Amino acid sequence: MKIIETKKLTKYYGKSLGIKNVDLVVEQGEIFGFIGPNGAGKSTTIRTLLGLIYPTSGSATIFGKDILKFGSEIKEEIGYLPSEVFYYDNMKVIDLLKYSGSFYKKDSKLITKRIKELASYLDLDLKKKIDDLSYGNKKKVGIIQGLLHEPKLIILDEPTGGLDPLMQQRFFDLLREENKKGVTILFSSHILNEVQKLCDRVAIIKDGKIIKVEKISNLAENTHKRFRLETAVKVDKSRFTGIKGITDLVITDNSINFLFRGRINEITKIIASLNLTNILVEEPDLEEIFMHYYV
Amino acid sequence: MVVFVVGIFGYMSLFTAFSHDVSASMKLLHGFPPTVRALLGIRIGSFFTILGFFGYMLTYLWLIGGIQAMNLGTGILSKEISGKTADFLLSKPISRFKVLTSKLAAALTIIIATNIIFVTASYISAEAFKTKDFNINVFLLSCLTMLFIQLFFLGVGFLVSILVPKIKSVLAYSLPIVFGFFIIGMLDSLIGAENARYLTPFKYFDVGYIAIHTAYEWRFLLTETAVVVICLVVSYLVYTRKDIQAPA
Repeated sequence: MKIIETKKLTKYYGKSLGIKNVDLVVEQGEIFGFIGPNGAGKSTTIRTLLGLIYPTSGSATIFGKDILKFGSEIKEEIGYLPSEVFYYDNMKVIDLLKYSGSFYKKDSKLITKRIKELASYLDLDLKKKIDDLSYGNKKKVGIIQGLLHEPKLIILDEPTGGLDPLMQQRFFDLLREENKKGVTILFSSHILNEVQKLCDRVAIIKDGKIIKVEKISNLAENTHKRFRLETAVKVDKSRFTGIKGITDLVITDNSINFLFRGRINEITKIIASLNLTNILVEEPDLEEIFMHYYV
Repeated sequence: MVVFVVGIFGYMSLFTAFSHDVSASMKLLHGFPPTVRALLGIRIGSFFTILGFFGYMLTYLWLIGGIQAMNLGTGILSKEISGKTADFLLSKPISRFKVLTSKLAAALTIIIATNIIFVTASYISAEAFKTKDFNINVFLLSCLTMLFIQLFFLGVGFLVSILVPKIKSVLAYSLPIVFGFFIIGMLDSLIGAENARYLTPFKYFDVGYIAIHTAYEWRFLLTETAVVVICLVVSYLVYTRKDIQAPA
C-alpha cells in the first residue's frame, strides 16, 4: 500500500523554484530516506505534504487521501519532527506534551502513559520549563510530541541536529522499534551516513528535482569514500592511475588524496603495499558525491 | 485592568467637585477656545450631568480599549509566527479554520470580560458620585459603545496579523493605527463634516445622540458591522490558503 504518493508536485515561491515535478512513492512499512544538500527542496516537499505550504501544481496523497482535502484527517496519523524545534517557552514540558496530545482523538490516559515512557527512554525531565531546556533537550521534546500519539507515518525533517551520538543511537533504535510495529517513516537528511544506517530506500533531491530513487543497498555499493594518505616516501602517480573507482586523484609529494567508489577490500590491498605514515578515510559530503557521480 | 478601574473611579470622583460649583466650572471651560473644546470633545451643555461627564471620559477610554483590542487582534496570530510555533500548531490534526476560530473566540472572551468589568466599574462609580438620578438605558448604551469600538479594532488587528508577513512588535502596528483613527476623529471634530464620520470608529457613536434618542445611529452601526465582517472574512480567506514559512 502506498502511504505517500506525490505526482508532479511543484512549488514556486514567487518566481523562485522550491520543487519541480516531484514524483515520490513511499510504501507501507518502509523507512524511506530523503536526501539532498541544504536548499535542495527536502523541507519544501515535507512542508507541502503537511499542508504548511500549498503546492503551485501537482498533487499528493497520504494514506490514499488528498493532502489538501483531508489535511486534518491525515494528520491524525502523522508524527512530525522538524529540523528546528520551537515551542511555547513559558510552558512546562509535560504541559506542552499534554497540549500536543490533546489534538489527537486517542485516550488522554494512554497519551500521558506514552509521554512518560518516551521521556524516561530519552532521559528528559518533564517538569522543566521549555525555556530552561538545552537545544538537545528541546529536540527530545520534539521527538516525544511526534511519537506520543503512536502515528502510522512519521515524518522527520533533518531530525538529529542537537542530539549527541548516544541520543542519536537511542533515537534510531526507537525509530526501528516503531518501524517493526508497521510504522512508515520518511526520513529527510543531508547526511548520507545517517540515511544509510536507517533507511530501506532513498530518494535523492537536488535543485528541487528528484534525481534518483534507489535501494539503500545499491547506494551502499556506490558509496564514495574520501581517502587521504600520507606516505614516508613519494609515491608515483602510476600506482593509482587506471584503478577502477578512483576519481579526483591528487598526489603531491608525500600525500595522496582521492575519492573511491567500489569494493573497499580492493583499494585497501593497494594501500597496504605503501609505506604509510597516516591514513584518513572520510565520508565525502553530498555535494562531492553529486559532483562526481550524479551530475 | 486594575489601573483601568481605578482610573474610572478617580475620574468619576471629580464629578462631585465639578458639579458642586457649576458656574465656576463653566467659567473655566468657557475660558478654553472653542477649537480646543471641540478637539477635546467637551460639550458645555451636557458636561455637568453625570452622563455627559462620563461621556467625555468615554472618548479616551475608547482609545485605551481600542489599543487593547488591536493588540489582541494583531498579537494572537502573529505570536505563532514570531514565536515560531506555527509549525507545531499547524502540523496537528486541526484545520486552519478551527485555529482561527479558536483564536477569535479567545480574543472575544477577553474583550467581553473587559467590557463586563468596564460596565460594572462605570455603573458603580456613576451611582456613587451622581448628584441626580440618570437614565440607565442611556448609560448602558453609552457603555456598550466600548464593545463596538473594541470589535472594530479586533477585526482590523486580525486582518493586519494575517496580511503582514512578520510582525516583530505588536505595538509598532497597533499604536499608529489606533492613534491614527483617533486623530482623524479629532480633526473631524474640528471640521464638522458629517460624511467624515464614516472614516473613524471614534465618530461612529455620539454620546449626545444616544442621550437624546436612547439608540445608536443605524448607518454607523451598519458601517461598523460591515468593516468587522469584511476584516474577518478576508482574514479567514487569506489564512486558510497562506503559506507558513519555515522558522529561520
